[in-house]
Amino acid sequence: MKIPFSWLKKHVALAANPDQIADDLVRLGHEVEGVETPRAAVKGVRVGLIESKTAHPDADKLSLLKVNIGEAEPLDIVCGAANMGEGDKVPVATIGTALPGGLKIKKGKIRGEVSCGMCCSEVELGLAEDSDGLLILPADAPVGAEVGEYLELEEAVFDLSITPNRGDCMNVRGIARDLAADAGLPLVEISMADFAVDDAVAVPNVSVSAGADCPVYLARSIQGVNVTDSPDWMQASLIMAGMRPVNGIVDVLNYIMLDLGQPMHAFDADRLTGDIVIRSAMQHEGFAALDGRELKLHAGDLVVSDDASVIALAGIMGSGATGVTGTTTNIVLESAFFRPARVSETRRIYAMVSEASMRFERGVDPAMVGIAMQRATAMIVELFGGKAGDIRQCGDADAINAGRTVDCSVSAIATRLGVDIPPSADDVLARMGFDVKRYGDQLDVTVPSFRHDVSIPEDLSEEYARIIGFDAIPAVLPPLAVTRPARQDRSVHDAVSGGFLQVVTYAFVSADEQRLFVADDGMDIVLENPISDAMSVMRRSPWPGLLNIARYNLNRQQPGVALVEQGRIYARADAGQHNETNTLAWLMVGQAQPDTWYAPARQADFFDLKGAVEAWLSLRGLTGRFIADDAIQGLQAGQSARILVGRTEVGRIGRVDSEIATGFDMDVPVFVAEINLDVLPSGKKAKFASLPEFPGVERDLVFLFDKHTSSDAILNAVKSSAGKFLTNVRVFDLYEGKGVPEGKVSLGIRFTLQDAKRTLTQEDADAASASIIAAMEKRFGASLRG
Amino acid sequence: MSEIDALKLQLESLQSEALAAFSAADSLNDLQALRVSYLGKKGALTEVLKGVGKLPPEDRPVIGKFVNQTKQALAAALDATEAELAVKAKSARIESEKVDVSLPGRSGPKGALHPVQQGLDELTAIFVQMGFDVAEGPEIEDEFHNFDALNIPPEHPARAMHDTFFIKDMRNADGTEPMLLRTHTSPVQIRAMKRFLAEGGEPPLAVVAPGRVYRCDYDVTHSPMFHQVEVFKVDHDVSLSHLKGVLQYFLSAYFEKDVAIRLRPHYFPFTEPSAEVDIGCVFCAGKGCRICKGSGWIEVLGSGMIHPNVLKSVGIDAGEFSGFAFGLGVERMVMLKQGIPDLRLFFENDVRFLSRMGVAK
Ligand SMILES: [Zn+2]
Repeated sequence: MKIPFSWLKKHVALAANPDQIADDLVRLGHEVEGVETPRAAVKGVRVGLIESKTAHPDADKLSLLKVNIGEAEPLDIVCGAANMGEGDKVPVATIGTALPGGLKIKKGKIRGEVSCGMCCSEVELGLAEDSDGLLILPADAPVGAEVGEYLELEEAVFDLSITPNRGDCMNVRGIARDLAADAGLPLVEISMADFAVDDAVAVPNVSVSAGADCPVYLARSIQGVNVTDSPDWMQASLIMAGMRPVNGIVDVLNYIMLDLGQPMHAFDADRLTGDIVIRSAMQHEGFAALDGRELKLHAGDLVVSDDASVIALAGIMGSGATGVTGTTTNIVLESAFFRPARVSETRRIYAMVSEASMRFERGVDPAMVGIAMQRATAMIVELFGGKAGDIRQCGDADAINAGRTVDCSVSAIATRLGVDIPPSADDVLARMGFDVKRYGDQLDVTVPSFRHDVSIPEDLSEEYARIIGFDAIPAVLPPLAVTRPARQDRSVHDAVSGGFLQVVTYAFVSADEQRLFVADDGMDIVLENPISDAMSVMRRSPWPGLLNIARYNLNRQQPGVALVEQGRIYARADAGQHNETNTLAWLMVGQAQPDTWYAPARQADFFDLKGAVEAWLSLRGLTGRFIADDAIQGLQAGQSARILVGRTEVGRIGRVDSEIATGFDMDVPVFVAEINLDVLPSGKKAKFASLPEFPGVERDLVFLFDKHTSSDAILNAVKSSAGKFLTNVRVFDLYEGKGVPEGKVSLGIRFTLQDAKRTLTQEDADAASASIIAAMEKRFGASLRG
Repeated sequence: MSEIDALKLQLESLQSEALAAFSAADSLNDLQALRVSYLGKKGALTEVLKGVGKLPPEDRPVIGKFVNQTKQALAAALDATEAELAVKAKSARIESEKVDVSLPGRSGPKGALHPVQQGLDELTAIFVQMGFDVAEGPEIEDEFHNFDALNIPPEHPARAMHDTFFIKDMRNADGTEPMLLRTHTSPVQIRAMKRFLAEGGEPPLAVVAPGRVYRCDYDVTHSPMFHQVEVFKVDHDVSLSHLKGVLQYFLSAYFEKDVAIRLRPHYFPFTEPSAEVDIGCVFCAGKGCRICKGSGWIEVLGSGMIHPNVLKSVGIDAGEFSGFAFGLGVERMVMLKQGIPDLRLFFENDVRFLSRMGVAK
């Protein structure tokens, strides 16, 4: 909300300048988003009294003035204007003054005569576009005073962000009240021009059938108004406050709303049919709103209607047909209190916001309903003529929000804030409209009707905190507990130490991307109101996000990327439930190793990523089994596997289907993996075992196997055939090509035998070799390679 | 010339010949060959000794002593030359094995933690060190935990300010409310307190809850997904000054210097009193710059004393216990600490950005 400084000063005689007021507002809890200065004060222009005026000896149109600006000697000034005479008071720009137009005043000679300043017109002071001569100041203007201060030329507009609990501050007077209470200044009484009530003007027929939602409703007819534009000062104020002038009547009502916080409405009386009723809408009842929308209302919406149709959605917007226009002559004014929750619910249903609804849903001051009606009537009659009838009143404003009391103890508030509550704070609270009584530690506070946000002792503690000032509250460390810290999740940290860059991607993907790796089984979680189609479905696979990031970086000349992400994936579960699964996911594409002085560049392949996953598992004391699976959606058959730890399937790994990769602009192999962290068994902390004392023997055996024989199966067969001394076995060589028959691979196996009780002999090794060779022959038809 | 003199002469010339040969040797192998040829079983000295048998017995000890002296002299010269050659050989080897130590070492690709992760780690660690327990909660939430229990009833204007993502065709357990993506980490307050009480706990309870949150808002300064850390403590007589003390400690710890803090009264439905917290601008040391819009202050988080309705919603006696709570945006904290100018950089995941921001200071 925008509040001009000059408008504030109509309610409280603030002595501080706008910068200080901005600081005060912040301290009181009204966030100042900005301070605009549409008009800066002119400095160095002073009130001057013309003591003599004589003609310039060498120029017909110039005069020589002696001007008293309150100093020992009057100034000699050469002036070209004609509208001034001896005894007039005029603004005098003294030497050194910079005028708004950019002119800087210097001492000089004009046609041979000395001039020590310049008498100013409204144009030169930046107050008008044109003028007929000097600005003649009122006779009582104090000689020597700064004209900017005397005319209150300085203007500043505070752009405030009013918090939703402070509906009472969505108007100038509310803000002025806080500032006045804080500064110990009185709040100016609301001025009201007199007007005569004309009994000849009929009182509108109004009834309220929805009294709970509309506890008070005031209506008054004014006949014979001549709707013109509102006065310049009002238009200027409205514009500074961020509102557009519409027509005289609407402007007056907007002005009153901004000034006092009470939204009002005016109907064109000649467009109303019959009586006014405030009632609940009927289901599907139509309403043609002022903003052009045609609404189908819901039962329960609070409406104002006449005998023919709905003329307003109460507290939110009037109808287009019954609004006041430039040709309106008879009006009905409305001033009311609508229940905040009702207004809030209705305006949310229709996504409709108005200045009125913002105030009603935060709660207006019931005491202001009548005052606003009188003030608006007075202004309308004064500005646009017309005869005002008496008020038709339904309900009682005094009964709303009245006499609410909060009882609490001073010590409880002091404990909550951690600071003493001095009695002087009570005085400030009293100036804010509270009735405060202190009996020892007991505090009885009656809350003013406009403070809908204060009802419990904690609310009062906030008021005291604002009054005392948060700066005055000491910073004290509370007693800190010693707890046993849970083991930290190092998942992503370990992956990063393996050479992967951690990324963070959005949890939502497009429906198309979702389908790349997850079948359409109806278990997607879809957003009702997504930002865009590309971010509309909660991801069930981490891979589309990683593919997008890979594409982004490869498009920026990266020869390859190795990415890791930790985050949740989301899916529906049975019985309306859903799962959020903590997942770690990897992606590798392009160069795994650049050209270096010691090695040529190398492209990533399946085993780069598998090695990374194995290393990651090994850091948590786990060993994974990689079970070939050609049926993983989105992965290429023959290069994809399920990852098992023990009997638990914990993840998947493989090469992304080439068409999918191409869809992400990547024509090189892309490898991805994921681990479900929620099902991953926690590795056991290793237990000590004594190290072997006797040396072991190591043997190599090289076999010819059929191509595509699983090395896992081979090694398992070795393990089960090599005998009890086997401690280690691995593939140390893999070769196909020259010297190896078509359809075969040469696979070298290195195994180690060791015993805790003795040194093993060549005979032991020979026996194990023979047993392994027999097993390979029997199980795989493999022959020992010469 | 007597036999003995002839032998002596022979030994002397052998010695001088040998010493010359030794000093001419330029490898340990050559030297070893010389050692054999002079001192070996069939060496030159042995040959000379064969002549000793021809001497009269009384002369034998004399010449024997002379032979021994020669032998010792040769052995000593051999050892000395050998040591000399060994030193030479080592320097030659060292010279030949010299490498360019300025070449880069062998290494694989270097990983890096995402700056948001680093922020989460650092922030969480500060609170863990202060005795706060870490808690998490679901990101897909019901309205009760995200709003109602936090004192934000349906008609509350604050609800509209949350720009909530709703889930299509998914409702809460009793089917009365739509499900949504949590708009803040505050629902973890409710879940953590309920869990704690259900397990028979009694305050004090101090929790730090990091996590992802979602707002339906997407522009230069807003991301539809971002990270928050929620911190709260419930105990007897927890006060606003305790909140201030914790904020002062934690903000200085995070920014690794004494930062000025300022609390401004504000409004949040779930706290009373509520305060927005500013820190003295870390870019201009409070003098006023473009980033702090000349004010010298930068808003970093929202805080307050937990509203009694929030405590009541989980069954904590608000008369007996009180608490403070605050929530902070992780991206914002990281941006301030590391001078990152644009929120979008976090989610673009340009590997050049990630690599650079992943480097420890
Ligand atoms: Zn700054």
